Amino acid sequence: MTAAAQPSKQRWKRMQRGMTPWWLLSAPLVILGVLFVAPLLTLFLIGFQHNSLLQVGGWTLDNFRTIFQTQSYRHIAVTTAEIATATMLVQLAFGLPLAYVLAFKAGRWELPLILLLVLADELNPIVRIYAYRVVLGREGIINKALEAVGLVDPNHPISWLLFDNFAVVVVLSTSYITYTVIPIYASMKAIDHSLIEAATDLGAGWLRRAWKIILPLSAPGIFIAIILVYIPLYTEFATPTLVGGTGSYMLGQLNAELITETGDLGQGAALSALLLAASGVLAAVAYYLSRLNRLDT
Amino acid sequence: MPARVRLQRMLPSIASVALVAFVMLVLFGPIVLLAVLSFDKATIIALDWQGFTTQWYREMWANTNLRAAVLNSVVVAAIVTVISMVAGTMAAFAITRFRFHGRAAVAGLVGAPLVVPWLMIGVGAAIFFFHYNVPGLFPLSLHSVTAVQVACTFPLVTAVVAARLARFEGVQEEAAIDLGASRLQVLRHIILPQLTPALGAAAIFAFSWSFNNFEIDFFVGGYDQTFPVWVYSELRRAPNLPIINASSTLISFVQVLMVVVAWRLLRGHDDEDGSSVVDALP
Repeated sequence: MTAAAQPSKQRWKRMQRGMTPWWLLSAPLVILGVLFVAPLLTLFLIGFQHNSLLQVGGWTLDNFRTIFQTQSYRHIAVTTAEIATATMLVQLAFGLPLAYVLAFKAGRWELPLILLLVLADELNPIVRIYAYRVVLGREGIINKALEAVGLVDPNHPISWLLFDNFAVVVVLSTSYITYTVIPIYASMKAIDHSLIEAATDLGAGWLRRAWKIILPLSAPGIFIAIILVYIPLYTEFATPTLVGGTGSYMLGQLNAELITETGDLGQGAALSALLLAASGVLAAVAYYLSRLNRLDT
Repeated sequence: MPARVRLQRMLPSIASVALVAFVMLVLFGPIVLLAVLSFDKATIIALDWQGFTTQWYREMWANTNLRAAVLNSVVVAAIVTVISMVAGTMAAFAITRFRFHGRAAVAGLVGAPLVVPWLMIGVGAAIFFFHYNVPGLFPLSLHSVTAVQVACTFPLVTAVVAARLARFEGVQEEAAIDLGASRLQVLRHIILPQLTPALGAAAIFAFSWSFNNFEIDFFVGGYDQTFPVWVYSELRRAPNLPIINASSTLISFVQVLMVVVAWRLLRGHDDEDGSSVVDALP
């Protein structure tokens, strides 16, 4: 009997038996275990120990206590939340209509525009941040242009464009726009067109269609966008360092400073662990809400 | 048709075009501006063109720190890409082609580095290597950067390849086996041809992610500088503007080419609606 004559299922099963999934997963799981799980666990482990330059070793809650009780840290946390929330809102304000245009109106421009969005994400982030300094600075292109047409006095250029919250929100919004638009676009793309047509036939205006049909049905995409964008915004440090000012000092910067400059690994680890735990909770809530919504509709 | 009504009908499309144009201007205007300025003789930002020059590109080439940083980034990205392709594809096969206990948990774990911000992974890894004095990874160097970047990057490969694998489920493989193909023949003649475009695109995205990964480079690189870290530290010190313009322009140009190639690969053998591209997005 030739091999080909064997009942297929049996043979298929036999071929898979030698190659268990765990053999395939060995390398990926070892990599994740040593280089992802262990580092994140270390954050919690070291966060609960004395680990400053002054004192090393011994279990303690001091790191977390310091973080919660230091007035300036609380201030930084509030600033971070403000900037992250403002950025998320700006992105939704532009991202929702943009996703709508891509999904329903763009026609043959749809794919080229998505390509451009992907491209925007693949350009080097530090280069992108630097490019905005050239545009927004006191000596930047916007000020020069306004001086040229006489709207701005060359001796008093507009200074709030750069090294302030404005620049941080602008640059962060552009950094994450791909991750805001694409999930929303994907879920809008999945909306059954007949629903929209039916609503139009029944006399619903565009606002009503957007509010009653498109927005609720694209909610899963919106929640994914929020998970992908809102959480990382709390950990940003390159952008506020390079285009922010003293008033836009964020938690990510504090974290970096504790590790690389102050050398207080205990507090740095504790802060990272807190951010990690908070983002886990936020992700779980967003996931739960998006599931809930899908069941409703 | 009265002009007013015609205008009212056209208003939505005018608004759409304006929105798209504005977003694209904000996204790419500054980069295009950098490219233009990199050929300008002026050393400060100015509206009036001081004359064409390639001086900054020559100075860029002469800057040994910059050259070393770019070389570091390229070597790290190349190694990260190779390891990520192997590990990522293995994980993608396990997750899409087998049903086993703990599959959902494994898929979640592999996906986690795509969601956990790189800052925490970088800080965690730096502390982990330092605290336990992990041999080979501490003192921090390009070795540690490469290692941690693999963990951050291979899940991206898994996502891209798994999306592709899920599109042709096991039917063709079973058919080939029914017709007497060996396991190697199935891999060679059924799986690889269908997977090659996705693998190519995944490799390009992996390289790009590694090259751009500032957070990991910054926290885990020790005294070794990569390109993003070089730009960052230059900007914090005396801003060496023209040379940063030139190097940024060159790097961005290469990245544009890479994304276009990846895009063609993902679309090449594919349906016209491009949904596979959206599936495969990071």
